[in-house]
Amino acid sequence: MASASEVSQRLGLAIAVRDDWLHAGLSTEQADTATAEAVVTELYGRLGWPRPRFEWVPSPAAALLNTDRRQELRPGRLGGASAPAAARDWPAAARLASMLSDLRGRLDARIGAAAIRAWRRAAWADAQGTSFGRRLEDAVNRPLRGTLWDAICAPLRAALPGAERGALGLTWYGQHDAWWVGRYEAWRRAGLVRYDPADARPLELWGALARSTGWWWPGEDHCVMAGRPVIMHTEPAPDGAPGQLRLHRQDGPAIGFADGYGRYVLHGTPVPAWVVTGPTVEAIQREPNIEVRRTAIERIGWDAYLDQARLSPVAARPDPGNPGARLRLYDLPVAAGARPARILLAVNGSPEPGGQHRQYALTVPASIDDPVAAAAWTYGLTAAQYAQLARRT
Amino acid sequence: MPLTLADLTRRTGLDVLDHLEREAAIPVTGRLQAQGDLIVIPCITFGWLDGRVDLWPNARWRSVPAAGIELLRSAAGGNPHTLVADPGTCEWTTEVADPTGLGLGVLTATGVAYLLHPEHGGAGIAPGTYLVRRQREGTDEARGRDGPLIAD
Repeated sequence: MASASEVSQRLGLAIAVRDDWLHAGLSTEQADTATAEAVVTELYGRLGWPRPRFEWVPSPAAALLNTDRRQELRPGRLGGASAPAAARDWPAAARLASMLSDLRGRLDARIGAAAIRAWRRAAWADAQGTSFGRRLEDAVNRPLRGTLWDAICAPLRAALPGAERGALGLTWYGQHDAWWVGRYEAWRRAGLVRYDPADARPLELWGALARSTGWWWPGEDHCVMAGRPVIMHTEPAPDGAPGQLRLHRQDGPAIGFADGYGRYVLHGTPVPAWVVTGPTVEAIQREPNIEVRRTAIERIGWDAYLDQARLSPVAARPDPGNPGARLRLYDLPVAAGARPARILLAVNGSPEPGGQHRQYALTVPASIDDPVAAAAWTYGLTAAQYAQLARRT
Repeated sequence: MPLTLADLTRRTGLDVLDHLEREAAIPVTGRLQAQGDLIVIPCITFGWLDGRVDLWPNARWRSVPAAGIELLRSAAGGNPHTLVADPGTCEWTTEVADPTGLGLGVLTATGVAYLLHPEHGGAGIAPGTYLVRRQREGTDEARGRDGPLIAD
């Protein structure tokens, strides 16, 4: 019967492994080209193919903006009639993907079985009754994936020109694949699972890639490898699991590569450069995306924004449950072609240190004409229900 | 005996901002009330929102301990709303089906329960069963689906 200290020891080990792979995933060091090439060569060898020609570029954008190169990297279509009959004749990217998918399927199955065993040990659950398997996933998988895949990869992909994204074909993410490698390693190193010895070497190879390179694209005899970012700024993600990070930087791009490709991100929200370097009311009015608009407004401050923006008032009503305060609805001036937007100006129920009550604004659907109905909508209620609010603190 | 903010902060070990009035009794109500971006909806009075909101068939309940349960944490500053009650008098479940997606959970209390927040202070909840929802923002496209969620 496992003791509480053995359980917390294993959890601690898993978390240490997580941190190690998170660190690799966030690396801004120059790519270890020798290791990366050796690993990819060995992976090609497993497919029965010779060493490819390697081309290193400074960033994912550099890899994809070259039209000829994109054609080369795009795997052939595997549509029914035109797909090669034998798997060995498939394009390199497809075969690599297939090999990796099989590997991960086997590793996942081992973890699944181990989790069931751990789950059955009720003594390993925590005070709230959460199973050990679940605790491990929360401690390892969520922060790794939430940071590397959701917070970092997603905005980078979104920044690549749209057409190119479709033509990307199969991208491997190098250091940003550390999120799934780290998970397999955490389970193994915490002594909770043993993988098939035949899978040890492939897992090691993918791990070595995660420690040595940025994104990469395998072609038939040609491999494009991107370097790692030179700039990377993160902060803890309060909405995420413990240990999870998100991109954030107030005075420059939060992530950037040697050739200038990168993104500005404020508290996890990717924004155009102007929001960080020079937010103005005019730029805000022109911006169609509401998340970006709101981040920009928060950057200059709601007070400054309300002062300068010429908002058209729609209606005002007493705020239910908030004596003396009013709810005010305004039309937001938006760029031609952008969807109409309205904001509801409300007042905090509780006072600030100076005794005054802070006002704040909420974006509400433009089709709601009554301030109380708008406030009600923000909580999923009808105006009649919300009007019954007895108290607001 | 009515509790004050000072009583609550002492019991839970949680703190609130200095400028809040600590010695006055925290008002208690069984009616609809809001604390910042959280709203507490009495289930019976509102007919479980006209039958739209439901507990899962085998919903699991957690007993609220003396140190309280954090219901929601704010995005930028990390300020949580904490549910506090005398041990054994209040239970909380997150296993509720709410079509708006705003439902955080349901609390059911046989004694007075409190919501504590560093900026908003304390809110007293009379014995009963309540749905706690968070707030959202959004535009017309979001109507009928979830809009962005708010954390103050």
